[in-house]
Formats: sequence, C-alpha cells, structure tokens
Amino acid sequence: MLNDLKKIWHPIASSAEVQKRHVFHAQLLGREYAVWRADDGNVNVWENRCLHRGVRLTIGINEGTELRCQYHGWRYANRTAGCTYIPAHPADAPARTICNNTYPVKEAMGMVWSGEEAFAEPVHFKNFEKYTVLRPIPINGNFNIIREMLSAKYRLLGHTTRDEVNGVLKVILKNGEVILFFVQPQDSNLSVLRGVVNQKYSDSERVLFLRAQNRILQSLRNDIEVLSKKRQIDPMIVQIAQVSSELSKMPQKKDIGRQAVLRVQVAEKKKTAKDIVSIKLVSLRDQLPTFQPGAHIDLHLQNGLIRQYSLVNGPGETNFYNIGVKLDALSTGGSEYLHKDIREGDVLACSVPRNNFPLRRDSLKTIFVAGGIGLTPLLSMAQSLDVMNLNYEFHYFVQNEDHIAFSSILKKLKKTPLVHQGLSPKLTKKKLNEILLYHNNSMNLYVCGPGPMLETTRQVAAELDWPDNSVHFEYFKNSNVIDDSSSFKIELARSALSLKVQSGQSVLEVLRANGLDLPSSCEQGACGTCKVSVVDGAIDHQDVYLNESEKLKGNVMMTCVSRALSKRLILDI
Amino acid sequence: MIELYDYELSGNCYKIRLMLSFLKLDYVSKKVEFHPGKEHKSEKFLEINPLGQLPVLSDTNLVLRDAQAILVYLARKYDKKNIWCPIDDPEKLGLIAQWLSFGDLITGSSSAARLHDTLFYTEFDIGECRERAHAQFRILDEHLFFQEQLNQSWICDGEKPTIADIACFPYIALSEEGGISRMSYPAIRRWMDRFKRIDGFIVMPGVFPAGPRSF
Amino acid sequence: MEISCKDPVILNQWHPVSSLDVLTMDTVENTILLESKISFQLNSKEEVTAWLSLDDEKTLLPTRISYGFIWVSLGNPPKDLFLFPEFSESDRQNVATGVFGVNVSAGRTVENFLDMGHFPYVHSGILGEEPHTEVKEYDVEISEERDEVLATSCKFYQPQAAVNSNEGMDVDYIYRVPHINCALLYKTSPVDDARLDVIIIFVQPMGEEWVRAHTGMCLIDDESTAEQIRQFQQTIFGQDKPILENQYPKQLPLDSRIETPIRADKSAIAYRRWLSQKGLQYGVIPSAI
Ligand SMILES: N[C@@H](CCC(=O)N[C@@H](CS)C(=O)NCC(=O)O)C(=O)O
Ligand code: FES
Ligand SMILES: [Fe+2]
Repeated sequence: MLNDLKKIWHPIASSAEVQKRHVFHAQLLGREYAVWRADDGNVNVWENRCLHRGVRLTIGINEGTELRCQYHGWRYANRTAGCTYIPAHPADAPARTICNNTYPVKEAMGMVWSGEEAFAEPVHFKNFEKYTVLRPIPINGNFNIIREMLSAKYRLLGHTTRDEVNGVLKVILKNGEVILFFVQPQDSNLSVLRGVVNQKYSDSERVLFLRAQNRILQSLRNDIEVLSKKRQIDPMIVQIAQVSSELSKMPQKKDIGRQAVLRVQVAEKKKTAKDIVSIKLVSLRDQLPTFQPGAHIDLHLQNGLIRQYSLVNGPGETNFYNIGVKLDALSTGGSEYLHKDIREGDVLACSVPRNNFPLRRDSLKTIFVAGGIGLTPLLSMAQSLDVMNLNYEFHYFVQNEDHIAFSSILKKLKKTPLVHQGLSPKLTKKKLNEILLYHNNSMNLYVCGPGPMLETTRQVAAELDWPDNSVHFEYFKNSNVIDDSSSFKIELARSALSLKVQSGQSVLEVLRANGLDLPSSCEQGACGTCKVSVVDGAIDHQDVYLNESEKLKGNVMMTCVSRALSKRLILDI
Repeated sequence: MIELYDYELSGNCYKIRLMLSFLKLDYVSKKVEFHPGKEHKSEKFLEINPLGQLPVLSDTNLVLRDAQAILVYLARKYDKKNIWCPIDDPEKLGLIAQWLSFGDLITGSSSAARLHDTLFYTEFDIGECRERAHAQFRILDEHLFFQEQLNQSWICDGEKPTIADIACFPYIALSEEGGISRMSYPAIRRWMDRFKRIDGFIVMPGVFPAGPRSF
Repeated sequence: MEISCKDPVILNQWHPVSSLDVLTMDTVENTILLESKISFQLNSKEEVTAWLSLDDEKTLLPTRISYGFIWVSLGNPPKDLFLFPEFSESDRQNVATGVFGVNVSAGRTVENFLDMGHFPYVHSGILGEEPHTEVKEYDVEISEERDEVLATSCKFYQPQAAVNSNEGMDVDYIYRVPHINCALLYKTSPVDDARLDVIIIFVQPMGEEWVRAHTGMCLIDDESTAEQIRQFQQTIFGQDKPILENQYPKQLPLDSRIETPIRADKSAIAYRRWLSQKGLQYGVIPSAI
C-alpha cells in the first residue's frame, strides 16, 4: 500500500503557496520536503535536510538562485541541488557530487506535484483548463478516514460524488461545476485536503466561493478529528536517504580521465563581440551537473578536437552552460570550428564542469582583472559575489568598444565594471599599478587573460608585495615549449609500483598506460586538473598553473607536462 | 530617556525591541534576569510591576507594563507617520485591539509551552498548551489566507504592518521551542517571511533572519 | 523498579542533574534521567542522595558532587570523573550559566559545541562574522590514555574577541570531550593572554531525543559580573537551540552514510568514532556494521 502510494504523484502545495523567495514546508508519506521556487520560476522539491549536518532546509534562505542553509551557510543551486560553496573552506571547490536529495516535481492545475518514486506524468483531468485552487486544509487524521468522510459530507449536502483513480474524489456540484479532491498523506495521522474546481471566478466571486468551501471543509475537519483522536495509527517509517559512500568520508573524489560524459545541444549561438560568439548548451537528457564559479568544461568537437571553455553562468543558472569562444587567428581548428561550422541544434559531447580556479568568498574585497576573452570565468565569479552582497572591483581590459563581450551580463552587475580600452602594454602596466597599489591581507586578486597581460599582472602584483597566495590566475593555454627529452623513474607510494618515463612520454601517459586513470583536461599544464602530490624528488615544472611559491615548495606537479630533474620522483598515488 | 526592563530570551520583551527598532528609537535596556535568577519575582521588581512580568517600559514620568500597552504607547507617541497604530479609523482601531489581545493569548499558550520545554515550568500542562496554540494558529492562518486573497499582506488591512503584527510575531516565531510545529500553517509561514523583511527588523535568539529585503 | 533504558554504556555513566547554586539544602528536587523519574536532595555541601522517584524502597543511587554539579548514575559508574583542574584554581570565577531543555539528542548537543563553522551564521556579530568563515586546519586526537577526544590549534576569526578590543582577530581554541555527554572549551582569556578561560557544557539525557543542557563558565575575568556572564552564555545557547531542534534525524548518526563531513568537521568525526568504539546505542543511530 505504502509502496504504491510512493509511486503516484501527489499535490504537495498550491502553486500560489510556493512564493518567490519563500521556502515552503511540505511532508509526504512521512518524509519532509523543502519546496522553493527560484526567481526563474523553477520549483525545487528537496528532502528537508541539509546533507552536511541534517538541518532543515525550510529554515534556510531562498536567495532566488540558491538556497542557503542557516547552520554553516552552505549554498545549493537551483535545479541540481548541488552544493556550490562551503564557507568553512573558502579556497576549495566543493566536490561536484555533494547534492541534496531531490524529488520529481510537476506543476499542473495550480498545484505542485511530487512523489518519492513518481514517474511519467500526473493523471490528466479533462475540462480543467480553467481552475481555482481551494484553500488547502491540514487535518489531523488518516487519509483513508478523510476520503470516506469527505464523500459522505458532500453527498449529504446534495452534491454528486464519484471515485476516480489514485483515490481522487470528484464532486459534481449542483450547479454543474466539478471539484477534484486530493488527500495528501503527510503521515499516518496527518493529511492535507486539497481541492481544485474547474472554474475561474471574478475576484469577489472567488473569495466568496473559497470561503464557502472553506466552511464546509473546516466543519468536515472537526468531525474527522474527533474520530481520529480515537483511531491513532503508528507513524510512517521513513528510510533516511543515504549519501554516496565517497561523500561519507572526508577526502573528495575527483572525476576520472578526460571523459565526455554529457551530451549537449547548441541551443543558442550569437555574436557577443568582435570575433567572440556566445554559445548556450543544453542537456539532451538529464539535468546538467552543478558548476561553481571559475569552472570550465572540456568540449569535444565533431572534428575530434578537445577544447576547454570557462562557464559564464551566474549562480542558479543551471539549465544551460554558457561559454564564450574567441576566434583565434592562429586557431588549430577549435575556435574556427565553433565559429564557422557549429549551428544551433548541433549535438556535442562535453565533460562535467571542473573547478580548478575556485573563488574565495571570505575576502573583504576581491579584485578581478580580465583581459579579452579572459572575462568569462571572472564574470561568473562576480555574479556570485553579487548575490552574496560581497565587495569587489571588476576591471576589464579590451582593445576597443567592439571587443566588449557579454555586455548584457556586465550591465546587470551591481558594481559597475571598469572598462579599460585600447591601452598599450606600457599604459596597461601603469593602470595595473594603480589598481593593485592598495592591498591588505583580506583581499584577493583574480586574473584571467592572454599570456602577456597575465604575466604583467602577476609581475606588478609581486612588485607591490601582494602575497603569492592572494593572487589567483588562470591561463588559457601554456605557450611554453614543452621539453620532454628527459627520462626518469616514478615510484607510486601508495600502490608500490615503479615505472619508467621515457623521453617523449608524459608522466600522465605512463600512469594511464599502467592502468591508473587520472583525471585531466587541457593536457598542456594550464588547467590544474591532473595535479598530483609529490613525496620526494626534484620536479621539473613546465606548467603555468602553479604559482612560484607552489613550484618552489615542490610537493605537487602537473603530470601532463612536468617532469623530473632528479633520477626519480615518488608520487603520492 | 526610554528604559526597557528587558530579558533577552523573552518574546514579550522582543515585541518592544522590535517596535523600538522599527521606529529607530534609542533606549536603555535594563536587564532583568528571568532565568535562572527569577529577578522578575524579586521584591525590587515587584515594586515596578506587581504582576512580576516583563516587559516594563519607563519613559519620563510614565511606567507602563504589558507588551501590548507599550506597543500602543510607543506607536502613538513616536510614530510620526501614523502607520503602526492609526486611530482615525475606529473600525481598524477596534481590529488592531482585537489582534493585540490575540497576541497576548498566544503568550498564554505558545510561550507557556516554550517555558515548559526549555525552562522546566512543569506546572503547565504541556499537551493542553500546545493544543490551544494550534487552535489559535489555525484561526490566524485562515485569516491570513483570506487576507492574501484580498491582496492584503498584514493582519489588519492596509499597505503597512501594524502593532497587531508585532504583537503576534514573537511567540509564533518561537513556537517550535515549545514543540509546536508550524508546518500546517503555510499562510502564517509566508506572513513571517514578509514580517522579517520589514525595514528595521531584528532577530532574537531562536528567530532566524530572512534574506535580503528587496529583490 | 524497572529502568527502561537498557544500554549499559550510558547506564554506567555519571550524569549531571543540577548545578549546586540553584539548590536549597534538604529540599527534594525531581528530574528525569534516561526516561526514569528521579529525585534527589542535598543533605550538606558534600553529600547528596538520589533515588528513583517511583521506587517505594527508595534504594539509593550512586551520586557525587563535582565541579559545581550533582552527578547521578543509574548503573555502576566509574570511581572517578574526568579531570577539570581549572575549576579549583583560586583566582577563577565559576559561574553556572543556566540549564536549558532541548528537544534533541545529547550527541547532537555536544557536537554543536565542538563546531566552529557555524559561528559567522548562528552567532553572527558575536562569535563570528561573514565573510570571515574559514575554519583553518587544526589537530584532533582520540587520547587513549585519557580516553577523551582532544582538538587543538583551533583558530577562528572573531569580530569582537575581547571586551576592550574593537578589531577582529583570530582566537585560539582547544576542545576536550572527556565524557560522552560533556565537553569543555578552552579559549584565550581577554584579561591574561597566557591563560585560558573555560566554557563547559554538561548534557543530561532525559531521553534519546530530549536533554537538559547544563552550561557554565570558568573565567579569569574579574570585571564582568556573574549576571553579565550568564546573559552572554544564554544568548549564545539561545541561538544554538533552534538549530539543534531543527536537525534531522534528532539522534546522532554514527552511520557515516547519513551526512557529509568536511575537514572542518574533524573533531565531530573523531567524536562519532569514539562513541562507536564505546559501543554506545542510546541516542545515536549506530553505524551499519
Ligand atoms: N500580558 C503580558 C505578559 C507578559 C509575560 O508573560 N511576560 C513573561 C516574560 S516573556 C513573564 O514575565 N512571565 C512571568 C510571569 O508571568 O510570572 C505582556 O504582554 O506583557
Ligand atoms: S548543516 Fe547545513 S550547512 Fe552545515
Ligand atoms: Fe553555537
């Protein structure tokens, strides 16, 4: 019986009750739900329990794009329910897979429907194109008792009643209007009686009608509650939904390999600036996985190339991935292909979003320095700081007005971005000196742009004594020429394996050839995905991901390009 | 200078702190240790309020007890815009008074349940307190549902909230500390969100903040 | 007299039932411990008797007076209670800051006490403040010798660390859990930065999901009055209480598949593991294996 009830759709709220910036508290078959509508209209039905320490999400805050837990401020994205930020560890990107438990949801006939294991569609009722939802009546009583007494009550009043599928009761009023009644079983002794009539009234008529029905139902409730007091039933037993085993332990798992697990379709392609197109990708099947600001995806093109693109999405924009692609004069086929050959409707494969450029949100002030198309990850970050009302400054260096991309997003930012146009390298440096002059230890700098500009920014920051760990950067690509002539040995501390890396081979390739599936993305030392810890040995760093002090420390390396200076390296894998 | 005999964890004192904050008034908080000191039953305090109850407000020559009475006084005396307790409309004034009294009824049920569960006032019949609170919440939830149907956001008609909303808010917001769930009162839950977004809203231990005021 | 609780691990503990300062000599007090009604009476400053309220024979239960509290056991308690030497230092103010009923398990209450990550959210403006939300790396051990969980080198940014400071700073903390339901927090004293103030929470399980939380402070401060200290602690605990009462499930999950820990939760993980090792069943969801 209970199992059958789990499989059908139940109304759990009136649509009107799930108001903007509100979190509605629902319960169905013993399990509690937090139901909230994002500003884009989407309704989320989540288990009412923050996966961190179990705090009810109905006491949390609906911020319009994300739901924030009251206990430790974890943020969960609209639709995916994926955690996008863990304030206790501002420098880390939360594991993509930390996701609250979500349940199916549909909106129909002015009500929000869900069911623990509901599938297909809620039952469709004919002649309900126009409707008015009655005031829902919570009743301390069992749903079976309520169904019986409900039908008797309306018959007594001279109306006709008929049983429909799934325990729905149809009441045909004397004037011909039809009310459908649904009893939402919250728990064994607790239900909500929900009704909808196939009529839309004028404002004053509506209130009269709602009041009249409300009166009938409240009197029915009194009768039911008298009876139910004597007939208490054991509460329903709720299986606590489990988290995956990797999440139940402390260390976080990374995605493996350079896999294209998602099938996406180009939903929109449009020019956003000179030589830059904005592409929106939507999922062909399931919900797209959660991203965090700073994240990128690997796009697998039909011509066999794989390219990395940062997401421009703001928080809670979870039903598409938005990227910006700049036509590169020296294109080896990636940007040219996306500019010329790709059309709306085309299907591509891409990786899940990875975040090797996480945004700290514990700074008193964040400075963004974007150059050209380097705007994209920083724009995503600025939108996140906006919803949290955190302080930042946004600097955007472009050749001229025609090169300003994503201006509609830029315009929406609460802090007007400062656009610096047409500066020569010398003037750019001067400007950067002005921007970076003042700093203290609760500021962070995020830079992304073409190589030379990035180098200059890092250099200016270093000259002005910005601490290395407050300067965060992301290169598009590694333009260094990789010297892979050395050969050396690697020992794997945890798997007690000893392997040889010949000249011409990368550490990553050797590891893969020996069955160790390490994650990677750009495979040119720019993105940071293939990072491993080094226990012993001198590293020949050839990447552009690590900063100078990290390189000097010598305890991590990018296995796709970096090698050994010593005869052997001991890796922590 | 306004002085408030005040206890941080008291919902009735919170009514006054809310009003003072909404009206942006300065005041001195004179702490009376309700728990564990039972200072409100001390001889010294009984001279101020023979009922031995908090809050009490003193302002120049006036010493006033009862949260609802204090709300009326503060609103009439300091609310230059005549919003929180308008007196020109007798009907509305009557309704405000009706809901002020309802606010005090909630103290008798929900606050009593909270005292039982939190501070071990075992003389209260907890089941009976909770039942009364639920009955009151049903009445308010129904009222607020139909207010919404008429495009009204607050307990009494009008664009702006009144002292009736203030009088009802604290012990509804604290009800779960007395084991009284608000899941079955969706219209109350929505009204609470609106209340928390009033300019000048402050929290007390046990009451959570809402998100940004404007969106 | 039948005692409904059957878990030997919890039955054989000492449980706090009242602070001394609220008791009157020779007056019978009633409370609930592990679902059993018990009565107790202070006979002298050193002696207290306790019995099951419904027991006609009035068989005496083991009792003791330590650290300003009365302790009772329903089983065979150990000879000694954990050490808390600071309590007896002559220049300290020991203040019982009040007892509060909370509808949650003892384990959840202790775990919240060990948690720093919630300061900027739950105790905003007092113990923490956004955006200073980072929980920096700290050390945790389960000391076998002392049979307690110990978290050291904890640091957290506090907006107003001391009474006379107007700038935020990192405050150092040490946490001890020397008893399954009792925890102590050591924090740099604003008066003497070479010494530590102690804040305590001793939890009395009335049932599996229903506790009395006894709170207290042991301070070097001689400026603040006992009343100010109590008020501060009540505000803090008053803020924690609704969080605790909104945790689901109410019992502490020792089964790791129910929640998602992060590095900041190291002390909570150690605490849960320590409870598992002891085989505690009461007020917890035992681990699957
Ligand atoms: N009707 C009074 C009730 C005040 C009241 O109940 N105050 C509580 C504190 S929140 C109190 O002092 N109770 C002690 C008692 O009633 O003996 C008011 O609204 O001010
Ligand atoms: S319990 Fe929700 S953030 Fe920790
Ligand atoms: Fe706390």
